[in-house]
Parts: sequence; C-alpha cells; structure tokens
Amino acid sequence: MNISQPIDRRRALAAIGALSLAGCLGRAEEAVRTDNASGGDDSEQTDEPESEPPSDATELEIDGITKDPDGDAPVVTGEALHMAHAVDDLREAALSGGPGVDGIPAIDNPQFEPIADSNLGADKPVFGVVRDGEAKAYSQQVLVWHEIVNDEIAGDPITVTYCPLTGTAQGFDRGETTFGVSGQLINSNLLMFDRGTGTLWPQMLAQGIEGPLLGEQLSEFRLVWTTVGRWRDRYPESVIITNDTGYQRRYGDDPYGGYAPRSGYYDTDGIMFDPLVESDAAHPKSVVIGARTPTGAIAFDKERLLEERILSGTIGDERYVAVADPRLQTGYVYHDPDGTTIEPDGENYLVDGETVQPESLPLDRTIAYDAMFFAWYGYYPDTTYVN
Amino acid sequence: MSTETTEEPGVVRTHLSRLSIALRGTLRRRDGRIAFVVGLIGYFLVYEVAVQNLDRSINPGTLGVSVADNPLDLVFRSTGPFQYEPIAFVQLYVVDYLFAPVTAAIGLGLAALVATNLAIAYVSWRAPKACGIDRGRSSSAGLLASLPALLSGTVCCGPVLLLIVGIQATAGLMALFQWLLPIAVLLLVGSLFWVSKGVSVDAAV
Repeated sequence: MNISQPIDRRRALAAIGALSLAGCLGRAEEAVRTDNASGGDDSEQTDEPESEPPSDATELEIDGITKDPDGDAPVVTGEALHMAHAVDDLREAALSGGPGVDGIPAIDNPQFEPIADSNLGADKPVFGVVRDGEAKAYSQQVLVWHEIVNDEIAGDPITVTYCPLTGTAQGFDRGETTFGVSGQLINSNLLMFDRGTGTLWPQMLAQGIEGPLLGEQLSEFRLVWTTVGRWRDRYPESVIITNDTGYQRRYGDDPYGGYAPRSGYYDTDGIMFDPLVESDAAHPKSVVIGARTPTGAIAFDKERLLEERILSGTIGDERYVAVADPRLQTGYVYHDPDGTTIEPDGENYLVDGETVQPESLPLDRTIAYDAMFFAWYGYYPDTTYVN
Repeated sequence: MSTETTEEPGVVRTHLSRLSIALRGTLRRRDGRIAFVVGLIGYFLVYEVAVQNLDRSINPGTLGVSVADNPLDLVFRSTGPFQYEPIAFVQLYVVDYLFAPVTAAIGLGLAALVATNLAIAYVSWRAPKACGIDRGRSSSAGLLASLPALLSGTVCCGPVLLLIVGIQATAGLMALFQWLLPIAVLLLVGSLFWVSKGVSVDAAV
C-alpha cells in the first residue's frame, strides 16, 4: 500500500504550533515560510516571513571565514529551490558542533585507485557519480572524517559532500573555488562555506544563507548512495577514493556507528542536536529519498520504494514519481505531470512500450538525495511524505 | 578554594613554596614516586582514549607507522577545542594510536597535575608528616577535578560524551564543552593551592 501523505502548510503549522505550545520548539513556528505549493489554504496566510530581508541581527560571523564579493564563486543556478524556513531563523539555529572552521579538514587532493583493487568490504557504503563516462566512488569511511572532497570529474571541478549526522551525500559544481567545513551545524546538518566568497551554505538546502551569494542556489548533481559491491558490479571501471588523504585518521572506524549492519547513531532514535521541527510520522533515522523544487518538497520512504519499485506523490498540483534501482539499491525522482504509465521490467522499467533504465526514464529527473527522515522534515516540514 | 589568586603576589609565592615542600616530601618517598608515575601515565592514557586518539585496533595484529606527508603543516591545526591534528598513525597489534603532538602535550600537562594531586593525596594519607600536610587537606578531592577534561573530547560533529550517552545537545551545552578542559586545569591547580595551605613549613624541610 502506498500512502501519499502531503504534510501541507496547514498541517505543518498546526504540528509546529502544538509542539511550540509544549515548549519543544521555540521559534520554529514563525520560521515556516508560506510559499510552498502543497495545497494549503492561502487565505490563512497572515505572515510572509520570506518577504522580509534577512536582518543584520542574526548575521553569522564565523572566525576564519572571510567574505569577499569579488572572490571565485561556485556555480549557481538561476532558480532558488523551496525553503520552508526564513533565513534569519536558519542563522539563529546555527550552533557549533565542536570543531572550528576547517577543524574537520576537507580533502583537497584526493587520491584514487581502481575499485577492482580496493580491499574495502563489498557492503560498505559509497557515494557514486558518473559524468561523461567517468565513474568515481567516494567511500563513507573516508568522508565520515572529512565531510567534503574538492575534486574533478571529466575535467569539471566538483565538490562531494557528506554529513554523517543527517545521512546526506550531495554533489556540487564548485567552479574555481573549493568548499570547507565551517564547524557549525543547522538542523544537525553540515554548514559549508565556499573559500572564494565566504558564503555559508547548509548542505541539504544548498542555498546561500549568509555572505555575498545570499539566496543563490548551488548547482547540484546526483550522488548515488550505494555499496562498494553494487557500484563495482555496475561500474567495474570506476575508481574509488583511497585513505591517502594527506591526513592521519582511523579510516575504517566510524565514530558514530555503522551501516553494515546499521548501528549506533545511525540506528537509534536519538538525535544529537534539536531538529528545526520534529515529527513522529516515521523513525527519525529512517531513510527518505527527497527532492525539492522551487515550490515545494517531496520525500519517498526508501525502504518502501525499494519494495514497491514505483511510488508517486504531488507537490501542489504537480505529480512526481519515484522509481527504484534494484541494482544500486537507490531511487530516482521524476516530474511526471501527465501520469505516465510505468511498469517494472526486470531491473528496468517499461515506459510507453520501451524498456529504459531506472536513471533514464523519458521524464525530467529532479535532483534527489538520501536523508534521515528527521533531518528532511526539520528543513521541510511542509514536505509531501510518501510512505 | 582558589581565593589565593586575589591575594598579594607574596602570598602566592608562599603557597608555591609550601607546595614545593609538599611535593618534594612526597617524591622523596618511593610510594610517592610510584603514585606520581602511575598517575602520570595512567591519566595520559585515559585522556588519549577520551579524545579518541588511542583506541583498539581496527586491524588487529598489524604493526606499522604512517606519517603525514607534511606534518609541520598539520601539527598546530586545531580539530576541536584543545585538540589538534594527528601527524602519525601508529598500529601496535591490539591498539591504534594517533599521535597529535600538541594534544599529547596538553594531555601530559594535565596528567602531571593529576599525578601531583594523586601522589600528594596518597602520601598525605599514608604518612601525612612526610610532606608536612594536614590530613584534613588531602588533595584526593582534587582528583575529581581531573574528570572534566576527560569529558571534553570531540569527534567530527560533536562531543564524544553526547554520542555515547545519547544526550541531545544545546548551544549552552556545546559552549560548556569548550570550557571543560580549562575548568579541569583551574580545579586541579586550585586543589593544589588548597593543599598548600595546610603544609607546615617546619615539618617537611
């Protein structure tokens, strides 16, 4: 049974209001923006926090990050994706995770080896990307200690990012600049900065919340969260990042727990830092595959998607469909305004009588990524949740 | 307890002098020296475990050393409050040790303070006259002061303690974690000064 559960603005506000009354959330209610297209009644809208520019009072000044409007900028898109919280509230929610700026050092000179030569266990998580026929895998056991890799693929400068506390791996086109770890967290999520302009970017939102590129949206690309064995089977010519990072760490040890099998922080329902908004609609650490558009957000329960193969839901009136990739154990999200007939065909799909691979349906694919439910809901309390 | 800091410099000198007497009296005894060495090594190892530089081996049975390509570039790079980049990874069959020189130096400094407290506490309990200490001023309570530093370890995105215990962090709690180590140092030093108040100058010289 597929349950499409749009958590629309009205429901989000009601939930947030109730939680606020319980003293759990403080500022979260007023932080929710009302510009989503989840089907809420616009007549209820009274406050428009998004219409107010960010105030100086909440400016995030972090020692060690210099703002430079003339610095090299990362690649940004022309269209901002949906944000459910006002920028001021995101800034206020930032707190130090302990390390300072670059205390968690990004890898700026990654080294790779053929994945066939890697002695990493087949069940260990990797984040894979393919561009112009070049395949690369970044192991979670390395990224858990660094969170950011400034790299290149097919001649393009890219940044691969991973936040262990929210279980999110996302790729960005970095242009001529590089990214670093600010040491601050919002909603348990990595707050990155680009070294060119000093703009601060919450990883999951991928939108500038402080600095010269305030309000700009980073150009993202899809990273596939899968395992060494599955990536190697699918892309035997792929390379994989090695432990030769320039730093000394206990690679192979994960301070938070484990993914094979799932244990520790990745398994418990405990969260280290208060989420922006809480929900009991799912286990906090259950994994969703989430996608955002300029008007809203949608999340598909990953386990359910892998079982059902195809799930669909809406953002406002717009229909989105998610299809599972059994080989890589992941899923892809497509804009499907016309309700295309899609049927599983072995490990592929039958669309209009033609067999296509899960990542290549003849529809507009939306950038999506794995995330822990609590983190997705915290950033997007107005999300449609398909479980 | 540490009101001496507001007193005249001469008074502080007197306390240091008395503390020196107590320490010499303590280290003159074999059991005092043993207590000091046990405290020094023991606390240093526990501290390195607490900051996660010393841990059980991820590849048991392996012996090896790996040194960073540019150790001098890394040695003073902070990775967290009072924690610095490791420049070498040592695998010793059953344990792994990440050698971060500055973190290790901080650990040794703390261990020296703890060991001093421990040795004086032990000797003043066994033979108070040996170092001229009033038994009622034993520094054993000061050993509790060594605990905050052990809780100060951070790893990646948060304090180790919160990960282990599963407590939800707040901004206030995170700020407190940054002060745990200085608090431990102040308490340990304060404890020694408190002990020095009870030292009889005539007894131990």
